[in-house]
Amino acid sequence: MPVLSVRDLSIEYRTRRGPVQAVRDVTFDLEQAETIAIIGESGSGKTTLAVGLIRLSPRSARVTKGEIRYDDGKRAFDVLSLDAERLRRFRWADCAMVFQAALSAFNPVINIWEQFLDTARAHGMGDKHKVHDRTRELLDLVHLDPKRVLTAYPHELSGGMRQRVLIAMALLLDPRIVILDEPTTALDILTQRAIIDLLRELRGRLGFSTIFISHDLSIAAELADRMLTMYAGRVVERASVDDLFYRPRHPYSVGLMRAVPRVSGAVGSVVSIPGSPPDLIRLPRGCSYYPRCPFHIDQCLAEDPPLLRVDTPNHEAACIRWEAVAAALGSDAEAPVAEKLA
Amino acid sequence: MSAPLIELDRVSRTYTTPAGTITAVDDVSLQLGESETICIVGESGCGKTTTGRMLAGLLRPSSGRLLFEGADVWEKKGNDLARFRRAVQLVHQDPYASLNPTRTIAQTLAPPLAKHKKAHGRAARAAMTSLLERVGLTPPADFLLKYPHQLSGGQRQRVSIARALTVDPRVIVADEAVSMVDVSIRISLLDLLHNLATEFHVTTVLITHDLAVARYFAREGRIAVMYLGKVVELAATEPLVSDPAHPYSTALIAAIPEADPTITRTKKRVALRGAEVPSLLNLPPGCVFHPRCPLSEPGLCDVVVPTLGDLPGGRSVACHVALRERQPAAELLGVR
Amino acid sequence: MTALATTAPRRETRLPAPLAGTIEFLRMMSRKPVGLIGLIGVLFFLFLAYVAPFFVPLQDAVDVTAIYAKPSFAHPLGTDFQGRDVVNQIVYGGGDIITTAILAALFSTLIAITFGSIAATVGGRIDSLILAITDVALTIPQLILLIVIAAIFRPSSFFALAVILALLQWPALLRQIRAQVLSLKERDFVEAARSLDLGLLHIIFREMLPNMRSYIVIHFIIAMTLAIYAQAAIMFLGLVPLSGKNWAIMLYFAYNQGALFFKDSFLYLMGPIMAIALFQLSLVWLASGLEDVFNPRLRN
Repeated sequence: MPVLSVRDLSIEYRTRRGPVQAVRDVTFDLEQAETIAIIGESGSGKTTLAVGLIRLSPRSARVTKGEIRYDDGKRAFDVLSLDAERLRRFRWADCAMVFQAALSAFNPVINIWEQFLDTARAHGMGDKHKVHDRTRELLDLVHLDPKRVLTAYPHELSGGMRQRVLIAMALLLDPRIVILDEPTTALDILTQRAIIDLLRELRGRLGFSTIFISHDLSIAAELADRMLTMYAGRVVERASVDDLFYRPRHPYSVGLMRAVPRVSGAVGSVVSIPGSPPDLIRLPRGCSYYPRCPFHIDQCLAEDPPLLRVDTPNHEAACIRWEAVAAALGSDAEAPVAEKLA
Repeated sequence: MSAPLIELDRVSRTYTTPAGTITAVDDVSLQLGESETICIVGESGCGKTTTGRMLAGLLRPSSGRLLFEGADVWEKKGNDLARFRRAVQLVHQDPYASLNPTRTIAQTLAPPLAKHKKAHGRAARAAMTSLLERVGLTPPADFLLKYPHQLSGGQRQRVSIARALTVDPRVIVADEAVSMVDVSIRISLLDLLHNLATEFHVTTVLITHDLAVARYFAREGRIAVMYLGKVVELAATEPLVSDPAHPYSTALIAAIPEADPTITRTKKRVALRGAEVPSLLNLPPGCVFHPRCPLSEPGLCDVVVPTLGDLPGGRSVACHVALRERQPAAELLGVR
Repeated sequence: MTALATTAPRRETRLPAPLAGTIEFLRMMSRKPVGLIGLIGVLFFLFLAYVAPFFVPLQDAVDVTAIYAKPSFAHPLGTDFQGRDVVNQIVYGGGDIITTAILAALFSTLIAITFGSIAATVGGRIDSLILAITDVALTIPQLILLIVIAAIFRPSSFFALAVILALLQWPALLRQIRAQVLSLKERDFVEAARSLDLGLLHIIFREMLPNMRSYIVIHFIIAMTLAIYAQAAIMFLGLVPLSGKNWAIMLYFAYNQGALFFKDSFLYLMGPIMAIALFQLSLVWLASGLEDVFNPRLRN
């Protein structure tokens, strides 16, 4: 049974020029202990979706329809119907968010211990000794030395250490779901590697479900069980990680795969996606990827295609041309798209 | 390689901070030929940006020389210096800061054309049109009257490149020029920069932290890997990427996640002895990598500073162990 | 409004550049009502001070029969201690005070831009020296110094007064300009201009100054408001030779000739006070509206 079920979620931003349809009809399930990666360009709606799931969206955003159902086996509710107090508890105790490890994620004038204590108190954990024990345990878990780190101020820690602290803080109330927004973007390669390994280890040990948002396909390839490709606010493809990387069926997923150079293996035919994403205020008729799509036919303009089942029951793509995409890629072997199209 | 077009000759750059003196770049030498593509790769704080700025003549080395066509740039004066400045152009990282927000694209491109090519009015417009076409901003008429904030990040980087091209540079130094644009369009920008080298014989230096980008961009060229102010390895791109000679480059390449689930799950890793990068204020003695290096040998690596030496296959590496064994570190660590 | 905003940039008919610029300016201003009210207010007072006197004859004759007259149709705000019309004096009393304020703001802005830019670009000892002088100037209690200077020099022309006011006002803007130039100097587009060898003049006037327009214009306006207050203060205290027509001089006479004690003089007293206050308010609102106009991101 999924721990989080999102149904037809749509989120709009009000702007001077008119409503921006940042997230449109997003539907997906997050299973126990599963990791879903959401990929897409900036402006694809992936971050709006992520913060929308815990209702941290800015004031100008509004959920226009949909349902976010949380069910951990003991309690079940629609996140969208929670009042302020219950929402606050849900946010940390059931579903925690880890932001990029920028300094701005911390209060600069208090030390790490006080940051933990503040977070704990804000979420109803009053017992200082319990918080202290839990904090030490968590810092151990993320391989930091509690003695050194607890008394340090945020600016005294390196980027990698700050990211570890943020992860530990997210785990304070033992949430069932952890949402990670670009968790390794600002970090150096070796630090990034350490954080990836840490996330994998924690996930295995604690069994929480993860949603992570990244523009970096390679981290998705490392960590995800399943993937969602987002384009212009919609989920255009939903597949297992192997299916998405080796057998993508939406031309936009294919485009993203081809746009990323690699360090090992053949260079293949790497190309950028031509054009730019559509204006989310004046969405074109039909498929929003039409102008950039090498597979388009006139019929694509008739309607915005729904998610269609492709290949297997667990693989869906919002493309009426998915068979043409499959044919262009040729084999279904586990080889990168850029090589198949070379 | 024929006589180098531009050359850093044992340059160092130190900064004085309240906490002490920092050597951001330490004794770096690089020789770049005409129409060569080269990438300087390294993590933050390795000195790659400082090196790029010294190469562009924007920062004076604390010691060592910058040579352009064999002549010391910092000895040049007046017109000679101005000519050098124009010959080397920089493309900045942040597309939101590199264009003047108060000037339209035409107002950005016109002044250098007017000053250095005496192109005014119709001639200037024709020159701007052809430049915008060359950087892929078509139709040019749509862009000339726009302000930077009306363009996407990728389009702004193209304008930056067009602006650099107004003065027919011989060398372009692009500092992380694609790291702030969307993944989906990075390759097209890299292709544009790459074309400058192949079609217009501009020597192109790309500074990046991303080895995959470096491998793609400098596929016919070379990569220099920097660590804590030093060039630790300098070699042709493919050998460096597939068979790195320095333990640091080896660890770096092994750590990179790949956009391919099978490869990335089965990739061999290099276990480092320490996770934290030493502070530039307090560098370790001997080889700066030795506290983290799995090949480090006590009594050698923590005492003697290694210098770049040659390995077979035209590659240079600053590692005592690799040079003594005459084998790349990738072989010694068994991660080939 | 929204309709105008979305259609205006698409219009292809070419207007002459200054006209198009003015329309764009008004369109930007109209987005923030406070700024537009400020603009209208400032234009009104400028009209009152510089144009109206050509149409309204000066009523300077003493009329002993109408001293401190009640407000009436002939004298909407009543009359003064010599029976002269208050409205007439307000019309004639704006010119000098506004001219002095404009000149003072102009001089102080020029001083600040010149020395602020020099300090930031040259750096080193010159920078330290200019900064030291600025800090000293900032720490002197301005009004008291102004009173002392005015008492010593007794400036009789508005030009001299403007120079004295300017000498007191430049330090705050100088610090801002210096900080701006320091940060602009390091900006990538300025570095690119240096690399392209476009010359120092181009860099200062084409690359840097346009990015400081908002600071400069807004400071200019704020400097005008300060200059008006300073004038009002020293004239009210009677520290400069009292000649000519002037809102501040009106106040001086109203106060010293006992208008406070006459029951019909409320509007006489309030007239110049309101003129000064409303003009100041208009200036401040205009400044706040201009902040938006100068932000290129808000342009279409």
